[in-house]
Amino acid sequence: MGEKTALLELRDLSVRYRSGTREVEAVRGVDLTLDAGETLGLAGESGCGKSTLAMSVLRLLPTSAEIGGEILLDGEDVRRMKWGRLRAVRWTSAAIVFQGAMHALNPVRRVRDQIAEPIVLHSKTQPPAGELRKRVTELLAQVELPAAKGDAYPHELSGGQKQRVMIAMALACEPRLIIADEPTTALDVIVQAQVLDLMTNLVAQRDIGLVMISHDLAVLASTCQRLAVMYEGRVVEEGAAASIIAEPTHPHTKALAAAFPTVGDPEYRYAPATNSPLGLPDPPAAEPAATDGEPLLRTEDLRVTFTGRGRVVTHAVAGVDLEVRRGEIVALVGQSGSGKTTLARAILGLQPPTSGRVVYDGVPVPATSRALRAYRRQVQLVLQDPTSALNPRHSVYESVAEGLRIHGLAGGENGTERERVAAALEAAELRPSEEFMPLLPHQLSGGQRQRVVIAGALALEPNLLVADEPVASLDASVRGEILALLLRLRAKLDLAALVITHDLGLAWNIADRVAVMYRGELVEVGPVDEVLREPKHDYTRSLLAALPTTQPTQA
Amino acid sequence: MVWRRRGAAFAAGWREFAKQRTGLAGLGLLVVIVLLAVLAPVITDQEGLDVTKATGGTMEPPSAEFPLGTDRSGRSVLLLTLWGSRMSLTVGLVATLLSIAIGTVIGILAAHYGRWVSATLMRITDFFLVLPSLVLAIALSTVLQQGIGTIILAIGLTSWASGARLVRAQTLTIEARPYIERSKALGGGHAHVITKHVLPAVLPLVFVNTTLAVGSAIVAESTLSFLGLGDPDPMRPSWGTMLRSAWLDSAVIAGAWWYLLPPGIAIGIVVLAFTMCGRALESVLNPRLREG
Repeated sequence: MGEKTALLELRDLSVRYRSGTREVEAVRGVDLTLDAGETLGLAGESGCGKSTLAMSVLRLLPTSAEIGGEILLDGEDVRRMKWGRLRAVRWTSAAIVFQGAMHALNPVRRVRDQIAEPIVLHSKTQPPAGELRKRVTELLAQVELPAAKGDAYPHELSGGQKQRVMIAMALACEPRLIIADEPTTALDVIVQAQVLDLMTNLVAQRDIGLVMISHDLAVLASTCQRLAVMYEGRVVEEGAAASIIAEPTHPHTKALAAAFPTVGDPEYRYAPATNSPLGLPDPPAAEPAATDGEPLLRTEDLRVTFTGRGRVVTHAVAGVDLEVRRGEIVALVGQSGSGKTTLARAILGLQPPTSGRVVYDGVPVPATSRALRAYRRQVQLVLQDPTSALNPRHSVYESVAEGLRIHGLAGGENGTERERVAAALEAAELRPSEEFMPLLPHQLSGGQRQRVVIAGALALEPNLLVADEPVASLDASVRGEILALLLRLRAKLDLAALVITHDLGLAWNIADRVAVMYRGELVEVGPVDEVLREPKHDYTRSLLAALPTTQPTQA
Repeated sequence: MVWRRRGAAFAAGWREFAKQRTGLAGLGLLVVIVLLAVLAPVITDQEGLDVTKATGGTMEPPSAEFPLGTDRSGRSVLLLTLWGSRMSLTVGLVATLLSIAIGTVIGILAAHYGRWVSATLMRITDFFLVLPSLVLAIALSTVLQQGIGTIILAIGLTSWASGARLVRAQTLTIEARPYIERSKALGGGHAHVITKHVLPAVLPLVFVNTTLAVGSAIVAESTLSFLGLGDPDPMRPSWGTMLRSAWLDSAVIAGAWWYLLPPGIAIGIVVLAFTMCGRALESVLNPRLREG
């Protein structure tokens, strides 16, 4: 065994990007080996160099990158290959499943032709059309797609199907190594589970090596035997997946592991706040106070119906009764397309309901925009992507003061506006607030931007925050901070929150109650402990079953 | 705080603009032309435009006294060209401002309100787009009283349609950004969204468009004046009316090239200068256009 050359061996690999006078070290001295039939997970946050590492294996980096060290693919150094040899090696020895299947496929060609493309390119003579067709059908069968799907265009396929096509493309030339770069990031839990299963089976059946890159430790743990955790260009921890998950030694690994909680484990309830040094000021009461009495917000048989082209009617929200009480965090979970965001928009008065109504503090929410203004002081929105939720031309101060100015609350820059903005920034834990005020969004990190959005909402002293996937576009460690902030705000200001998410772990992390939405309806509503531990509805069960677990299955 | 930042942004923009030689050349030309036009009453005597007080002979070739010769009435062509720049620049600028203002307002309103507002405004825009604007302008200036105001109105009312389309497209992309949704959720009404978010984001485009449109407005003014629809007052010549009288006086047959060329070349230079400035501005404000 020891004599056999490894499938992939990286020796002291380093990659540097040079732009102008600036130099960025993306990968610093990484050693990794992978044998045939092995699976290796590469974990890390965005910017840690994991994708650069993957691309360097096939020399797909931009010309501004300088590579040092050795990349041995089947014992042959990729760095020293001639151009022709490199072209031959690409895809036949190693193939990549690219991130974001939506953009990696050509929208104007049938997927059959796209899968066939590498086969045609790598055969010396043009293969006969019949044979090519047979081979593509075979590949489609391997990724469990019916042959008819080959004649579809990418837009006719779902996200999971597109990802399968990408995998079929990677398999086309029967490579011995497959590198998958965040193969399931944009997918729903249920689809994600299917794709992960497929990849695990393929590796087992065909004795190929798999390098899988993800920021999600749970995804890696459920598919890979070994794990390597990257941080600032270095591999900080490497070993068997099970032992790394069970006993992370590096603080960064711990942070990554903590960001993806085990649903059902009491240790993870309210963990983002209790684990952080700032702590949770007053732990929320075990039972949300006063179950009876008027809830803060209530929807009554709310319906939103869209009529599309050709009179196709979509019931985005089909009769929802939802309650949010004072000081309560409710998680609204469901797959994409389940109508969660439409429900949130309807609650905020951004989307007029087709029928039914929203009742806030006992008063129905009006429909006209003038009458809505008073309501909008009470209920605030936090969007998914803080980068686009802030006007790039407005400074932090202007963004936070925007709400105050709209409502004429602080009498302009000469009144109390500055104090209020400072207070809101402090509440969102942007300290010292004076330093942040003149900055523009692009000068802030993702987490800081989200805090600015939250500060802008807090400036109006609302009673309810509606947060649409508030951490979905943030890195694992930042995610914990923002969730902790929400928990602390609830404890300090008695702020209620409706958190919309596709992530059951997040619901387990911070919510008191959870509402499961499926095809525009709430199929199950109840306390988090009950719903996520003893789900009653089949859909909730299937969502829970699809969660990748950090305990690797011993199957 | 806001003003200091705007100042810094302006300085950065200027540095980028200064990198482009054509833009700088265009700007230099414009500064010289505008200075000459503004200072014309100071450095020359308006009396020279009066046909009754003209001192030169009929269509004299260039000489020391009249560097660009004289016209049929014996007036200095140099003096006419200099004073013509005042008229051409004024009409060009004011007509462009009018046209851009109409276009911007209609474009933003159509994109912001959508639905039937958009449908109605865009059909009106289409109407002005398909109609030959010169014909419309001629019709307008025939109906209205002759004069500088009519010319400005005729040009302004016929040239806003493409600007409206452009602004509408830009507004639509801005309105799709999540920060507009955030602003609405904060309680911002139509006026707030339009003035605080849409307008500042659309203005750079409008500004570039203005610079580029001045050239065509000047050409339009010359065309209308050439066709005899301009200001008939001989004390207020424009390059277009100069070309018209040169044509009426059969300057070509008489071989009086000094009568034809100065206004023609002047039009060319001003339009070129505005276009060079506009292109340079465009690449400053839209980084994607920078050569790479």
